Amino acid sequence: MNRTIRILPLLIALVALAVLCGCASQPKKPPASPTQTSETPVPAPTTPAPAPTTAPAPSTAETATLHAEDLNPVFFDFDSATLDDKARATLDQNAKTLRAHGTAKIVIEGHCDERGTAEYNQALGERRAQAARDYLVAAGVGATRVEIISYGKERPFDNGHDESAWAKNRRAHFVIGS
Amino acid sequence: MRAAIVAIPLLALVAPLAIAGSPSDVRIDIRSDVVRKIRLHEEAFHASGDHGPQIPGAQADEVMANDLDASAVFTVTRGWNGLQPIEVQAIVGGEWNVSNGQIKLTGQVWDFPARHAILSREYKGPIADWRSVVHRFADDVVLQFTGEAGVAGTRIAFVGRQGNSGKELYVMDADGARIQPMTADKSIALSPSWAPDGSLILFTSYREGHGPRLYVTPANHGPIYLISGRPGNNTSASYSPDGREIACTLSQDGNPEIYVLDARGGSPHRLTDNRGIDTSPVWSPTGREIAFTSDRSGSPQVYVMDRDGGNVRRLTFDASYTDSPAWSPKGDQIAFVSRTSDGFEIDVCKADGSQLRHVVTGGSNENPHWSPDGRHLVFASNRDGAYGVYVTDLDDQPPRRIPTGGVVASSPAWSPRANENRAAGSADRSP
Repeated sequence: MNRTIRILPLLIALVALAVLCGCASQPKKPPASPTQTSETPVPAPTTPAPAPTTAPAPSTAETATLHAEDLNPVFFDFDSATLDDKARATLDQNAKTLRAHGTAKIVIEGHCDERGTAEYNQALGERRAQAARDYLVAAGVGATRVEIISYGKERPFDNGHDESAWAKNRRAHFVIGS
Repeated sequence: MRAAIVAIPLLALVAPLAIAGSPSDVRIDIRSDVVRKIRLHEEAFHASGDHGPQIPGAQADEVMANDLDASAVFTVTRGWNGLQPIEVQAIVGGEWNVSNGQIKLTGQVWDFPARHAILSREYKGPIADWRSVVHRFADDVVLQFTGEAGVAGTRIAFVGRQGNSGKELYVMDADGARIQPMTADKSIALSPSWAPDGSLILFTSYREGHGPRLYVTPANHGPIYLISGRPGNNTSASYSPDGREIACTLSQDGNPEIYVLDARGGSPHRLTDNRGIDTSPVWSPTGREIAFTSDRSGSPQVYVMDRDGGNVRRLTFDASYTDSPAWSPKGDQIAFVSRTSDGFEIDVCKADGSQLRHVVTGGSNENPHWSPDGRHLVFASNRDGAYGVYVTDLDDQPPRRIPTGGVVASSPAWSPRANENRAAGSADRSP
């Protein structure tokens, strides 16, 4: 607590500097729902979440190892596996990153919000992962590089019980394969 | 003698139907109080012989009273409190005898006020299994008064979470006692389904680090076997009534479809073929039909098809989203969940879709599953906060929570009866 207070002025200064440099358009934040377009850059205390946070992909990724943080999740509407414009834009970016990483393999996890049965959501989660995979393959990512797995509603990113949590949980999440 | 005694309460149950005329005119409203409960008075069991310190005593009285009360057949009183219980139809009691680690319960039922013996039977077992001994007596009391045994000796499988270490498969007695974990995988177990003889439990798990696969475990512990690990989802399995086949959802063709496998997971035979999601198949008790969930019409709805995949017809039309069908053991009713503004409610309709009734509302109520006597539904609900296991007697009373000892529980599945399950005999089995 004391430490937080001590470094607070420093944080504020850094944030101010970032804004002045025009770097604030590179958001460093947990995966946001499609409806959340702006957030305070200071991380808020949240419940521990199993999924890693995302970070902007470095533009010089060709030579580096591919990390899960280089690939952004895509989000879906309730009971839907349809890719909207924002999801397609995210997948275009992911496809670009993957094409730059030659042979790296990935696993796309399909996830759902907590509403509905475990069984139906397992099917729906698979649909979401398939939709993301099919888009990546159409965008030139080799089909053999992409595996999918559905976790249904079993691994929420946000354990909350409201629409803001649900929106974060209806997602296709990217992890590095083996 | 026995037939005459059974006939009296049965007549009371049947009479309103007979008056109503032809069967198609009968409308049974399960939420009304048409079916009155039989009033029993329970006397404390008394001990005889050279009993040791382990004798369950008052605990057994509690278990017995709870069994009778939970049967949905009886209203139970205990202790006269100086009042004459004028409406009591019979008295239940008995005598314990413990020797050499074995317990013998002489269970007795007397009519009232004459106190003629209606039932007197001995139940034996190892003292560690005294609960099963009591349950068998309670189930026989139900049999005596209704012609069909009770379900106190059955068990309930469910998946449960303790802390953040995944979901394990558990089994407990129908009253919540003797909770046992069946897996320790620190993975995700889902969708348990009992074999019709109660010896095995099918379930879905991610235990090998792949996508969801189907496994089977002996109901009394033992090695877990893979049933289906085909590419994609292997989920929502249930045994056919003869135990020879398994209906499940496979997405090996790229789309979730319903298949029938043999009991070892081989010989897959596909029943559905459309672009929608088809899942959660359950068999009718004759094995001739399968109810399932499909979103082929846009949103998830419950459908019924013949066992060969033909003659598909939609069962539910009254809600925007229905799922999780459960076919009653007598075949006449199907329970399912309907989406509401604040979660899911449990509805029941006739197997042809008519006579829809809202059985459990408030909070989110999920995964209904019938007791083997068809008098109860077990389901998961968050109606009091964290998800737990509840039972409704399909009447207007609030459902009762079955304690799961700090385990956040979902997907409950009711076992077959104990005499088909542990051969009634686990109590008589020598160590």
